[in-house]
Amino acid sequence: MSRFLPWLLVVLLASVPFWMTDYYVLHIMITTCIFIIAAMSLNLLLGYTGQLSLGHVAFFGIGAYTSALLSLGFQVNVFNVPFGVTPKPVWFAMLMAVIVAGFTGWAIGKLAFRVRGAYFVIVSISFAEVVRMVAVNWVELTQGPMALNNIPALTLGTGEFELSFLRKPSFYSLALAVAVISYIIIARIVNSRAGRAMNALRENESLAMSVGIDVTRYLVIATIVSAAMAGMAGALYTHYIRIVDPDVFLFIYTVTMVIMVITGGKGTLAGPIVGGVIFGFVPEALRAMAIKPEIQWIIYGVLMILIVYFLPRGIVPAIERFWAGQKPGDDEAARSVPGALQK
Amino acid sequence: MKKLAGVMASAAILAGSLVTGAYAQETIKIGVTQPLTGAFAASGNYVAQGARIAEDEINRAGGVMGKKIQLIVEDNKSNPTEAVSTVEKLIQRDRVPLLIGAWSSTLTLAVMPKLEEYKVPMIVETSSSGKITTSGNPYVFRISPTSAMEAVAFQPLVKKMNIKKADFLYTNNDFGIGSGQEFAKMLKENGVQIGISETMDPKATDFSAQLAKIKASGGDSLFVTTAVEQLTIILKQAKEQQLKVRIVSCGGSNSPDQLINQAGEAANGSFHTVFFPPWFPEVVKNPEPAKRYMDEWTKRGHNVGGLTEGFRGYDAVYVAAEAIKKAGKAESEAIRNALWDVKVKGIYGDIAFTKQGPAGKESGQHMPGVYLVTISNGKVAKTSF
Amino acid sequence: MDQLLQHLLNATILGGTYALLGIGLTLIFGIMRVVNFTHGELYAFGAYCMYALVMPLGLNFFMALVVAMALGALLGATIELLLLSRLRGADIDTTMLVMIGAWIALQNAEQLAWTGVALSINNPFPSEPLIVGPLSVSWNRVYVFFVALLLILGTYYLINRTHLGKAMRATFQDRDTAALMGIRIDRIHTATFALGSALAAAAGALLGPVFVVAPTMGDLAAAKAFAIVILGGLGNIKGATLGGFILAFVEELGAGYISSGYRDAMGFLLIILILLFRPTGLFAQKERVG
Repeated sequence: MSRFLPWLLVVLLASVPFWMTDYYVLHIMITTCIFIIAAMSLNLLLGYTGQLSLGHVAFFGIGAYTSALLSLGFQVNVFNVPFGVTPKPVWFAMLMAVIVAGFTGWAIGKLAFRVRGAYFVIVSISFAEVVRMVAVNWVELTQGPMALNNIPALTLGTGEFELSFLRKPSFYSLALAVAVISYIIIARIVNSRAGRAMNALRENESLAMSVGIDVTRYLVIATIVSAAMAGMAGALYTHYIRIVDPDVFLFIYTVTMVIMVITGGKGTLAGPIVGGVIFGFVPEALRAMAIKPEIQWIIYGVLMILIVYFLPRGIVPAIERFWAGQKPGDDEAARSVPGALQK
Repeated sequence: MKKLAGVMASAAILAGSLVTGAYAQETIKIGVTQPLTGAFAASGNYVAQGARIAEDEINRAGGVMGKKIQLIVEDNKSNPTEAVSTVEKLIQRDRVPLLIGAWSSTLTLAVMPKLEEYKVPMIVETSSSGKITTSGNPYVFRISPTSAMEAVAFQPLVKKMNIKKADFLYTNNDFGIGSGQEFAKMLKENGVQIGISETMDPKATDFSAQLAKIKASGGDSLFVTTAVEQLTIILKQAKEQQLKVRIVSCGGSNSPDQLINQAGEAANGSFHTVFFPPWFPEVVKNPEPAKRYMDEWTKRGHNVGGLTEGFRGYDAVYVAAEAIKKAGKAESEAIRNALWDVKVKGIYGDIAFTKQGPAGKESGQHMPGVYLVTISNGKVAKTSF
Repeated sequence: MDQLLQHLLNATILGGTYALLGIGLTLIFGIMRVVNFTHGELYAFGAYCMYALVMPLGLNFFMALVVAMALGALLGATIELLLLSRLRGADIDTTMLVMIGAWIALQNAEQLAWTGVALSINNPFPSEPLIVGPLSVSWNRVYVFFVALLLILGTYYLINRTHLGKAMRATFQDRDTAALMGIRIDRIHTATFALGSALAAAAGALLGPVFVVAPTMGDLAAAKAFAIVILGGLGNIKGATLGGFILAFVEELGAGYISSGYRDAMGFLLIILILLFRPTGLFAQKERVG
């Protein structure tokens, strides 16, 4: 039963474009789906390796800008040497976005994992801010605050066999497919040798090192996969909204991803999905109830605090425990006391 | 999970229809996207307040075709991507046949592809970048002047003000860069030497470094293009750094009253281009609507500093109502055709649209008046040249 | 040459307030092991207090600074007692998430209370600037600089010469031993957070009249405080003081001679460079990695 449930769910979700006629709901589902992909990628770092990376939106944004720039083409002068790229097909631009984001993840992983704890967190924030400043100020390349506009939509094939992802139903299917593939990739990694090594270093880094696990290597691998996946989410986003501006790098988006992951349950496969659905739909429901955006954000902030206090492992583990009929008092419950979290 | 999503989605729809549904039958909706929060919050709110005044006036006078008009104002948070989301929401959810927005040029340019995609016309009330009406988007109708029109209007003053060398400081967005380029071009043609051009982020608050550079450049006039928030700080810091040049602010979003109020003595001696001078409403082409708008603005207790901004929203709503009336139905395509025949006696002058941009895909552009005012002894005065 | 001198003068004056911001943050981290994401909001809170006290209430400009600091300390103590006191012993990531939550809630509460419109505070100083040869600086900035210096010296005195400071230092060095020696760790933590918050509020109250007051002003301030603290090494007060001045000089000269657009990026670039070559900060005495 539980083996088929996820697939049943996928089939159900895949059928949505056939009966959902309200495009606005479809719009929300698409953006939610894209954010879930980003949250899943963050979960790999935050949940499975235990690194609180608060610069994650940088990878999302780099993916978005790379794909937008390659599909639009650009012309810049680097130290008076002109350098230009003619517009590339969108599928190629999206592929490059994944590669560039993954490569950035590798470089940042190499650099940032020299430090841990608070230093790592601040370095990750700084990285995202520097990228944002470049996006704001390198007007020649990024158009700065004027935003990259008229980004083409994805089309595959030509002529009669052209498949366009301009309309909402087709784009929804694309986003859902990418989300399912991302989920499978993460599930495979987590259940592999690399996943167990990551787990070991999350629980006790010194111990993991002493038994011969190359900690930094696994951290860098996790960062590359995570960054590439976030880059893919960014590329999807950019060809859906078809405009990208430097605010895509704002810290608040990282915070949104973090909230999704910890609410759903960090270090669980379903966690980011549950968190993503909640925080994808709640803002729209609040907006429909004519609640001011400020109040919505205050609710977010307070919710985040309450979850850390009362549901530190998130919703999914809580439901699993309820399902399994476990009683408080075992080690799972003990971990839910904030003070008992490691150290 | 699926169920959860479904429940929440339907809750959202239900809640949405409770809010908007009650009026759905008797009103004609007009979508407004403005920066109500973020870097341009002050100006965006003024425009929305002006629009509300016109909405109430029109409805008190019986509405349009026997129906009341209803403005649906969305906050685009001063951000281009958010601006696109608001337009998506206004068109897809609220089904508005006509839009007004989006204040800054960057925001307007961002939403323009959506207008073509959904075939919904938009009245542009503030944006000044030339690109908006020259890029071939037939759904754009602008009532505000372009930077080029503003520069041309300024031209006769170059000699009178005896400008020999000019420096520039502007925000690095379409509004700032467009204005800087047009004024530099115009000044160069009039034999003025161009010094340095410094840019600033629309959110920046410290300009000491830029001002020190400008001081070193040694021009006699500094042309600044930004909104009133940054202008206030620039005037203060220019005084602190003894930057003794003539500061001219362009773009018409400079709100001299607010500058006097917030920058104090530092505002004295500065010049400002405005598109509506509420200090001497008798000089505008149609003093009657101007006076009506000003009285209501004061009555509602809105900030006096916002008068130079709020009239944009006021005029835009009158143009929208007139277009709907001329079209005879609240449908986008009919309204778009009707906009070409609209004639409104507004504060922006006798509003009517002329064609601009590539043939066959022209945008509409109105030719409003431009006024130059100066601040002396804490008061706004007409320029004496 | 005049331009360079003016840049150096601007940087020195800016550095004083940067140092003030950095000290508050580094103090809280050093003693409590908490990365205080609400630091920028306390800065904005100080500025808003100043606005409310001076503009509508008409309180004396100098008194208002004292009241703003007291209110900042009060808000800081409330945050500590309400949120952090229950998390003692929790790992650093947990407290960080809580502080991020508090930061979002506070910033939006400010936005809700004051709207997004920027506010301006009048100051009682002569509007003609102080002119020394080719240089000029407003009296308000001179005042800000000296008050900042005074507050920095006051903090040094408090930490090095008073009983409370001694207890703080003891907690900083070894929390468990300090507790065994009868130091009330709870109170030290509350006092530390209140002190750090008061310093952030002071920086906001001082700079509010120089610039304008807006709800998002805290973000940039917090970002700079982080850069300063990383420069000086987390928990290092002398480092934070120097870090504040270094950042101000790098920013001002960078904006003056390289690119004014990247002004606010300088701090972050500095962080990345520092971590490449000296991961423990410029002035760290002991290894803090791991």
